[in-house]
Amino acid sequence: MKKLLAGAAIALTAMTGASFADGHANYPERPIMMMVSYGAGGATDFQARIVTMTAGNEDALGMPIAILNKPGAGGRVGWNWLAGQAEADGYTLGAYNIPHFIAQSIKGGVEYSRDSFEPIANWGADPAVMVVGADSEFNTMEDVVNFAKENPGKLTTSGAGLFVGHHIAALQMEKACGCSMAYIPTKGGGAAAMKAVIAGEVMAGINNLSDAFRAREAGNVKILGVADLERNDFMPDVPTMMEAGLDVDNSSVNFRGVMVPKGTPQGIIDKLAATVPTMFENSRVQGKMKAGGSPMHIMTRDEVLAMWEKREQTLKELLAGL
Amino acid sequence: MSAPSLPRIQHMIGSGIVAAVGVWVTYISYTATPSEAFLFPRLIATVFVVLALWTFAKACLGWTKVGNGITPTQVKNLAPGLIIALIYIFWAAKGLGFYTATTIAFFILLSLYDPAPHGQLKSWLKRIAITAVFMVVMYGLFAKLLTVYTPREVFF
Amino acid sequence: MEFLYYFGDVFTPINFGLLLLGTIGGLILGATPGLSPTMAVALLIPFTFQLQAAQGLILLGAAYTSTVAGGAVSAILLKIPGAPANIATTLDGHTMAQKGEGAKALQISFLASAVGGIFGVLLLIFLTPVLAQWALAFGPSHLFWLAILGVTVIGSLDSKSVVKGLLSGCIGLWLATIGFDDIMGAQRFIFHPALGGGINIIAALIGLFAIPQVITMFAKGRKGDGAEVLKVQKHPISGAFRELFRNKRAMGIGTAVGSVIGLIPGVGGQIAGLVAYDQSKKFSPDRDKFGTGHPEGVIAAESANNAMVGPSLVPLLTLSIPGSPTAAVLLGGLLIHGIFPGTDLFDNHPDVAWTFINSMLIGQVLMCIFGLYVAGLAARVAQVPQSVMAAVVLGLAVFGSYSVQSSMGDVYVMAALGVMMYFLERFGFSAAPLVLGLILGPIAEANFIQGSMIANATDGLGPYFLGGTLNIFLIVVVIASIAYSGYMELRSRRYTSKEEIIA
Repeated sequence: MKKLLAGAAIALTAMTGASFADGHANYPERPIMMMVSYGAGGATDFQARIVTMTAGNEDALGMPIAILNKPGAGGRVGWNWLAGQAEADGYTLGAYNIPHFIAQSIKGGVEYSRDSFEPIANWGADPAVMVVGADSEFNTMEDVVNFAKENPGKLTTSGAGLFVGHHIAALQMEKACGCSMAYIPTKGGGAAAMKAVIAGEVMAGINNLSDAFRAREAGNVKILGVADLERNDFMPDVPTMMEAGLDVDNSSVNFRGVMVPKGTPQGIIDKLAATVPTMFENSRVQGKMKAGGSPMHIMTRDEVLAMWEKREQTLKELLAGL
Repeated sequence: MSAPSLPRIQHMIGSGIVAAVGVWVTYISYTATPSEAFLFPRLIATVFVVLALWTFAKACLGWTKVGNGITPTQVKNLAPGLIIALIYIFWAAKGLGFYTATTIAFFILLSLYDPAPHGQLKSWLKRIAITAVFMVVMYGLFAKLLTVYTPREVFF
Repeated sequence: MEFLYYFGDVFTPINFGLLLLGTIGGLILGATPGLSPTMAVALLIPFTFQLQAAQGLILLGAAYTSTVAGGAVSAILLKIPGAPANIATTLDGHTMAQKGEGAKALQISFLASAVGGIFGVLLLIFLTPVLAQWALAFGPSHLFWLAILGVTVIGSLDSKSVVKGLLSGCIGLWLATIGFDDIMGAQRFIFHPALGGGINIIAALIGLFAIPQVITMFAKGRKGDGAEVLKVQKHPISGAFRELFRNKRAMGIGTAVGSVIGLIPGVGGQIAGLVAYDQSKKFSPDRDKFGTGHPEGVIAAESANNAMVGPSLVPLLTLSIPGSPTAAVLLGGLLIHGIFPGTDLFDNHPDVAWTFINSMLIGQVLMCIFGLYVAGLAARVAQVPQSVMAAVVLGLAVFGSYSVQSSMGDVYVMAALGVMMYFLERFGFSAAPLVLGLILGPIAEANFIQGSMIANATDGLGPYFLGGTLNIFLIVVVIASIAYSGYMELRSRRYTSKEEIIA
């Protein structure tokens, strides 16, 4: 009996060994897990669930992708886990948020850097916007900037945390106008930061375009400016920060996409990089994303690699003084 | 239940360990950097260490009122179960795969603590049946219904 | 009265079928250790992709209501609280089950859940606009005081010694600081890689409650004193109704506390059960019986945690702010159909909004019916011999804590905390205050830091934390709570010492 079992075990190893040798032609052979470093129900989680919903289709990966939430400390918990503890076998993917994880790695205190991960594809780009309560006295970016100039350090501005896109946008704004704001990071992500604006706990807030769009539809906030290079299709009436005279580029735009930990076999990376973007292009995915007010921006692995590198440079300059 | 005469020494060890943890936490809270991140831990640690030292002092003086301590019989009874549980959790679950390890640990624990006689075939069959039913339920619930991918090594 | 108009929609075959499916599925998922209501609802999201908006929400809403109530099953029978909401239920519910009154405990817990739950949903239907303003009134300073109010409960909760209760609470507060600090991102007390993500609350709950119980069963030995098979008393459902009416006070306190606290974004759901339990204990003439298998405790805890369900959706439905993680997942269920909560929902999709709310009302009734039916059968679990029970609970604890985040680290944390808790319990510490500290710590800290940042930029710390009607009111309640605990401690000290002399 023992011999038989041992034999079976050897045969099993040989079989798996063989599948490794032939360039992962059979990948994936079982369901895949994708780690999201924010809580269930957050914008990243919500979008991750939509863009992966067709993974089980035959023309996509042929195996479903299950979402695994590892929230905490602005994403640091999840990315630390992906870089350090996750198995690089191709069955563990991760969602990335740029500029968050790059900014955090520059700031230090985490176990990952840009080199710890291999991008697969990008699905969305969610610019940061400046919001104020619906009954606020501020009506334009100029009003906000003027207030900040006259009252340095008094403009309380909520955002989802330190060294996330919202914080980067705030830093860029301060640099551009030569003024200083009181940036208030909230625990509980963008939703908590938005609540602070609506309830009047803070004077202004920086938040995701997708969430702000919804809050404006509900009649709770005014959106004053978009921290991007162009106006957004969801709100063509809102000017960019550049138009409002602030030299703020798209460094704070929250790019969301799929990556794998370093050390994942190249064959699997290539296969994923070829398949995943087409999965994002699925018309059902596009429809659901549009309905939810989530801007899509599909990029391939090579484009993402270039984007990561560029982002790291800008962020290093921006964060140098901190 | 007549209250057993409490071995004061047990309470001293117990509250002594808690007090030691308290001192350690306080030390770290006041020395670690960045200090602004440790503002709140400092507050907690201060209250923690005061209460812990108080409890320890009370234990040393034999003033402890609540808590029954552990009797030697209890230690003798729980030791094998605890050791198997710890091996199961800290090594076997990952090393052998969840389902294999759970089957083995479940069966051993059942055989150790089940009052049915060890000499009878019938009671062994019953234990095997219970283990099998439990594992089928666990597999159905976690692997099939919830699709949790647990570590799998040898079999499943 | 608009909601009456849409009642018919709940009873179309597909909708009602989904409601049944959500309710039964929710009860099963809720009774599974390690699966919090948030996770259960998130698991169902993919199914709603295929459904119409109203249908999807019926499924999610039914699952939300019944997972919260289903958590009571494992809390009562196995002493594994499924979610923070069910901690208070274990205190008296599990003791009742140990006495053979498991059927009674389950029946009154489902009845109390239904009463609380229906009241909560009615609040949602009639008072939404008023409640929405109330939910927004709680800023960082108020949430900070609310957390402190919770801390004052720690000393008196399920512990015979106030000092040890407070010390347990401190251990919990400290454990909560392990991991990354949420705002600064600094690492604190990470002395083992498994703690990198901090202590997961669900895994901690499983460890702190289930493992000590497993070890206690081991300690009884092979033919120990607890080995005789327990007689499970049959309990007629009419008896459960009578029990409920006899305890109107606990019912009222539970429902009121649950509805009010459930409304507050970010805090409510987790502590509603514990606060209601503590309050009914303080107001009850039988306060000494709490913790020894007293039905009042189960009623207060369960009515509170289901009363919270309705109001917790108010900020989401009116202001589009998800007030709890579960509400955030429900928001996803709306968004994929292109429906935005807020005015859009009630003006342009009243059929979706009201069918959803009505189905939660019917769902409460269905949940109660199924629950009562299952109660008699499920209570037989208490008859399972100790040896089997210990092994079953251990296996469930391992699988349950692993499945929270598919992480071995959580299993290690669960086991380490559990073994530690067993020994602490032998020395007079208890798990409930420790868990309360674990829950309240992050709330108190984050709101204090956030509040002080706002205060420093505006009118200073003093006026910000001490000024304003709501702040002053909360501070008064905090002081009253401390004074009351002190008074009770002094008064009961005489009694306990007398009892000890007798013993």
